[in-house]
Amino acid sequence: MKKHSNYRVDIIPGIVIALFAVAYLALVPGIQSFTGMGSTPLTNHFVPYLWGGALLVLGLYVAVRGFRKRAAFIKAGEKIEKFDLKAAVNEKLEVIASFVALTIYVALMNVVGFVPMTIIYLVAQILILTPKHDWKKTYVPALIVAVVCSVLFYYIFRYHLNVLLPQGILSAFGF
Amino acid sequence: MILEGIQAVLQPMTILLIAIGTAVGIIFGSIPGLTATMAIVMFLPVTYSMAASQGISMLVALYIGGISGGLISAILLNIPGTPSSVATCFDGKPMADKGQAGKALGTGVVFSFFGTLIGIAILVVLTPVLCDFALKFQAYEYCALAIFSLSMVIALTGHDMPKGLISAVIGALLATVGLAPIDSKPRFTFGMFQLNNGFALLVLLIGLFAISEVMKYAEDVRKEIKYTVNEDAKIKGAGFSLKEGIAQIPNGIVSALIGVAIGILPGIGGGVSCMISYTVSKNTSKHPELYGTGIMDGVVASEAANNGTIGGAMIPLLALGIPGDAVTAMLLGGLQVHNVAPGPLIYVKNGAVVYAIFCAMVVSAIFMMIFMLLGMRAFVSVLKVPKNYLLPVVIVLCGIGAIGNANMVFDTYCMVAFGLMSYLLIKSKVPTVPMILGFILGPTFEENLRRVSQLASSDKFFNHPIFMVLIAATVLVVIFSVRSNIREAKKAELAAEDAEKSV
Repeated sequence: MKKHSNYRVDIIPGIVIALFAVAYLALVPGIQSFTGMGSTPLTNHFVPYLWGGALLVLGLYVAVRGFRKRAAFIKAGEKIEKFDLKAAVNEKLEVIASFVALTIYVALMNVVGFVPMTIIYLVAQILILTPKHDWKKTYVPALIVAVVCSVLFYYIFRYHLNVLLPQGILSAFGF
Repeated sequence: MILEGIQAVLQPMTILLIAIGTAVGIIFGSIPGLTATMAIVMFLPVTYSMAASQGISMLVALYIGGISGGLISAILLNIPGTPSSVATCFDGKPMADKGQAGKALGTGVVFSFFGTLIGIAILVVLTPVLCDFALKFQAYEYCALAIFSLSMVIALTGHDMPKGLISAVIGALLATVGLAPIDSKPRFTFGMFQLNNGFALLVLLIGLFAISEVMKYAEDVRKEIKYTVNEDAKIKGAGFSLKEGIAQIPNGIVSALIGVAIGILPGIGGGVSCMISYTVSKNTSKHPELYGTGIMDGVVASEAANNGTIGGAMIPLLALGIPGDAVTAMLLGGLQVHNVAPGPLIYVKNGAVVYAIFCAMVVSAIFMMIFMLLGMRAFVSVLKVPKNYLLPVVIVLCGIGAIGNANMVFDTYCMVAFGLMSYLLIKSKVPTVPMILGFILGPTFEENLRRVSQLASSDKFFNHPIFMVLIAATVLVVIFSVRSNIREAKKAELAAEDAEKSV
């Protein structure tokens, strides 16, 4: 029954994608369309309806396929394991922490500035990607890498390559 | 124009940039988990303020280095550095185990160079022909071309076609954000001016391929996977005799041609070409039983093909603006940044840049061979660079790339959102490469479909033979792909059942 045991990767994504398609389709009528001279018989609603409809059908198909696999799984006498959220979160702790670190990094970059936020992010991300028992010997090299990279990148990109990296609090010091 | 292009590349600064690009590309290609796509993402912001020919030459060098570098870890670690080197492991690793690591590396390097040159030769000959042909294209033909290219998604989605299609449709759907083609009315912008131009291709690519790669690494932090590097990487000369090299030329030519042909097809990259050419080489060989035991033929087939794919993938990119794979999609983003619009008029509008690209590819291929034959030990030592330090720095550079694209921090928010979406899709076994095709071809399809709807009353479709041929080809591709998908899915099911019975 191994071939049916992966029903979860069909049911959940299928439902999420179908719901997303419904939300997308619901927004289409709100789009302003141009009906003046030179307008096309197919308005700017047509293609969004086409893609939204296709996504809805595909999402539902995948979800239904997942439910059928699940039914076959049960029929074969296999036990359905309960989804353990706590275990799943624990298993993906580093991934979740990485996304949280990255989100905070980009969210505060404009206000706090590129250099301070990059230093904090790099130290945090390096530690997240390092096994816990190696953290003690990682602090100092991580901080050195973070400071050197952020200052160097800011200097090179802002002053030599014309990329407008956010100054943030650095602007108070004239940088 | 030809001289102008060559002159632009043969400047000392450009040559230096190509050398740096090739070396960094090889490093990225050789480290499993880092790809040519990531190398290009990282260096894109560096090229923003360069002249178009300089910046694009550097990106092309990263591409060639990135694809070629994959053979190092394939042979020494038995892990392909890039998906393009999957088949190199089959004979490269057994050769290394037999104490012939130098020979395997030398063979891979020389025939990577050989494959790249064949790809470039075909690129130089075919691109202007395709451009001339595409000049005849009007709304009908572009619409059919977009449909044909999208139909190729079905061919590249493996045995789970619905999920491949979901990916392509999500890409097309993301492309509807921003001002609509033709009437320029805003769609799905939610009043945010930053979304008026839609999502940037580069930002989507960074999210899809760089962020998700870091997350995949994060998943394995507690597993602490240790690699054993075969240190016997000294190459004497080319690593093999002249006689052995000459004997491999026919195999190299056929494999490179397969690579070029597959590269031309939208959406199919080096990963597929190396597998197909390996199989073809094995099936046509006088000694197929020796494949997989450590013979030169297998390494030649894989490496000549994946490097041949580079030239092939550049043909539709330059002539039609349709990328062959993720790396060429990134190059498309690079071309856009430098205001070079790929398409049938590229020779008219940016002829010098096109010739500069051709010339840069040759120079980069030469650098690649020299660097890899003479400096193999240095590249092997790079395999030991700790990725927990390297990947966060790559992410920061990706963020800079996203900001620099339009000098907006808003793009970094999109980058993180796309990264999260990509990770969740990968976990749901939805491939992400078809999304790029959907994102690029969606607007082409929509714009030309709406033009066709306007023209249909006065200009009937049967006046457009190219349109009809492309639609017929689409129908054939869909029928054959659906049939082979169903067959593959059944085979996989039977194999799973057999495995279950044997347990």
